[in-house]
Amino acid sequence: MTLSEWAIKFSEASDQDKTIGAMARYFTCKYMLDMEHTKIIVEMVDGKVYRMNISPSGMDAYDFALRASAETWREFARPIPKPMYHGIWSASFRKDLKIEGNTLVLMQNLRNFTVQFELLRKVGVPV
Amino acid sequence: MVKHSPVTGRYVTIDVDGCEYKVFYLQNGQGTPLVCQHTAGCHNHQWRDLLEDDEFTSKYNVIAYDLPRHGKSDPPHNKEWWKEEYRLTADHFVNFIVKLCDALELENPIFMGSSFGGNVALQLALRHPDRFRAVIPVEAAAHAPGFFLDLWRHPHANAAQVCGSGIWDLMAPQSPDQDRWLTWHYYTQGSESFKGDLYFYSVDHNLTDQLSQIDTKRCPVIMMTGTYDYLTPPEATQETASKIPSGVYIEMEDIGHFPMSENHQLFREYLREALRIIMDRTDA
Repeated sequence: MTLSEWAIKFSEASDQDKTIGAMARYFTCKYMLDMEHTKIIVEMVDGKVYRMNISPSGMDAYDFALRASAETWREFARPIPKPMYHGIWSASFRKDLKIEGNTLVLMQNLRNFTVQFELLRKVGVPV
Repeated sequence: MVKHSPVTGRYVTIDVDGCEYKVFYLQNGQGTPLVCQHTAGCHNHQWRDLLEDDEFTSKYNVIAYDLPRHGKSDPPHNKEWWKEEYRLTADHFVNFIVKLCDALELENPIFMGSSFGGNVALQLALRHPDRFRAVIPVEAAAHAPGFFLDLWRHPHANAAQVCGSGIWDLMAPQSPDQDRWLTWHYYTQGSESFKGDLYFYSVDHNLTDQLSQIDTKRCPVIMMTGTYDYLTPPEATQETASKIPSGVYIEMEDIGHFPMSENHQLFREYLREALRIIMDRTDA
């Protein structure tokens, strides 16, 4: 699966997810998924994926970032992750995930972001 | 046909350290009292399935209360509580539980609590070993730093959702969706109390140097923790239990920080074993 194919798959899964859709109206933020050698900026507007930047430059802005090793991201994407790889907080407390940037924006969107993050278990990761 | 639950709810008013509390509790069953404390920022519906589990209620008088400021238990009626920041202390938490058990005239109750309820169970075993037949600290440890955070009630975020989703991955992904979302739902209701509860959980509770003083001959301690609990991970509970003379540790596979609420059907298997150990040790 190429990075472009993954981006399309993730976008479709998110836009079609009923749990996100149930409370999507103000789900607006821009965040980076840093998977070691692969970085993606996801831009959400009103609950829908507005843009997936799969080759961000150093000047491209985002609100917050999740950074971890590629191995950790692969663990996130298992259908049933092992303990401590089953969420961003567990992995930030016990594994190598770093949550950086304006974390208040993450908190403002936490309900939907958490649901969206777990879509990785269905669509996988591009690393 | 209307379906009524055998669970009943009542209020009892007690005085604790000068605070007048009208406490709400749910009750069902007969036999040895089994007093159940919910987790921080939550309420007694976490014990909903245990309260209706015939195997347990046929032998135990299950009582699940709402701590003041949670669920249907108000903040103190005789205080201007809104003029000071809520911070739960170990002293007050312990005093409340003993006062409640006295008010309900519970003889030799078993006390079970999860998370901060588990931590206070350790406090009870240390301070009041003759008041309780045994304690079952669930998802507990001698010390649990790191969760007393401003983010739980930041005015620029939806605190209800922050609390509900902030605790989401304390649960195991295998736990049923319905039960995980009910737990999420409960957590949206307690956001104003959560941080104050966590003052006890992460700051005021620290028994690191006192575990060896717990007398398990007078009050057995059976600790249980789920493998998906990142906040009090299994190794933290195991280490705590190992430092309590004759302390028991049971590891719960494939469950998280809210076992009674996120997956009662799995939790009950471990609870059965904990109660069996208690009965073996205390029946004489």
